[in-house]
Amino acid sequence: MDIARPISMTRQRTLLHDETHFARALARAAAGAVIFALPLLMTMEMWELGFYMDRFRLALFILVTLPVLFGLSYFAGFEETFCWQDDLIDALSAFAVGFLMSAVLLSVFAVVHLDQPVPEIVGKIALQSVPASIGAMLARKQLGQRDDADKERRIRSSYPGELFLMGAGALFVGFNVAPTEEMILISYKMSPWHAVALAVLSLGVLHVFVYTVGFAGQENAGDDGFLSVFLRFSVAGYGIALLVSLYLLWTFERTAGLSMMELVTATVVLGFPSALGAATARLIV
Amino acid sequence: MADGRDNHAESRAESQLKSRAESWDGDGSASVSRLAWIASGLGLLLFLGSVGVLGYEGVTRGNGAPAISAELEEVVPAGSRWLAHIRVGNDGGTTGAKVQVEGQLMAGAEALETSVAEFDYVPAGSHQRGGLFFDRDPRAHELRLRVLGYVEP
Repeated sequence: MDIARPISMTRQRTLLHDETHFARALARAAAGAVIFALPLLMTMEMWELGFYMDRFRLALFILVTLPVLFGLSYFAGFEETFCWQDDLIDALSAFAVGFLMSAVLLSVFAVVHLDQPVPEIVGKIALQSVPASIGAMLARKQLGQRDDADKERRIRSSYPGELFLMGAGALFVGFNVAPTEEMILISYKMSPWHAVALAVLSLGVLHVFVYTVGFAGQENAGDDGFLSVFLRFSVAGYGIALLVSLYLLWTFERTAGLSMMELVTATVVLGFPSALGAATARLIV
Repeated sequence: MADGRDNHAESRAESQLKSRAESWDGDGSASVSRLAWIASGLGLLLFLGSVGVLGYEGVTRGNGAPAISAELEEVVPAGSRWLAHIRVGNDGGTTGAKVQVEGQLMAGAEALETSVAEFDYVPAGSHQRGGLFFDRDPRAHELRLRVLGYVEP
């Protein structure tokens, strides 16, 4: 049946549809899952959160992961995709790889063993599968060879697409530090003036990255001027980073019992790595 | 020049459209490799499975306080001392952190010896194991185990 197809399309289509190629992509995804999730796989708080965090918040977190994976597949993905069904296959495969790699590593680390109750095992693995599956998705860009398809992808990216990428970057980098006790500890140590300084620093770093990395849709930055780029990318990006930070703190139950001032400070503290993630999303994805 | 680029983009978009149409027109499922179906099917299964288990757990477990109890498993000699293996279980709805368990060797109403162990976490519906060391043989006395307290994680 392949014979009848025009050559122009088969080159791209075969990538997802050829068994050996897909197997290689899966192996690359597994490597990406391990490399990107390793810091979290070896973080004590992650294991503990896996069994004590609120079940609904964890379930919601897993639910949120799938659209993020889907979006990342659209923009990066470990396979080149040209329709939404392919993106869905990509996203689900990345989740499978992330889940299985987390299960294997947590078992080898003896964090998970069979005499634990099922919900505890599922909770620990499911929580880890979030960064692992995002890592699996990013593997294509980081470990794979780059080709013409990247140009294709640039065309796809629009302003909402850039905002999504910044959100995904903020989620990924923010997630890497959000489970640790230090997020709250640092915010306890800081005075309000420290928090203001950190917020200004985050925004400044974000803007420098936005300018130097060169976001798509920003090619005509010269015409738009400083203020437009600053408002459209840097301020919007920092806003997204803060929202993602607040969501992560809520998910990991770090918000309970905090006063408004402490909550804002903690959000700003986590907002710093999240802003860096948002700023460098273009580099990673 | 601008025209040429437009044409190029057009033809590429056309070929993409064509590829989309062809792969899903006829037998759509056959065009994606079997491995891709297996991987994504497994992903869907794991995704729905974990959300399902967590959701079910959230509905059924409730938010009651930790109900932690300690029981003696066995006593073994440990050098010149004795080791009492204990098992701490939590039948409540939430996890207890820093759970302190105290074991006292009693002679009538009087405590001869007291040992304490602290468990970092006793998750809801789970159990953890630990041990208490004593100078006297716990088997020769009454061993009273008490769960002293916990903090919310």
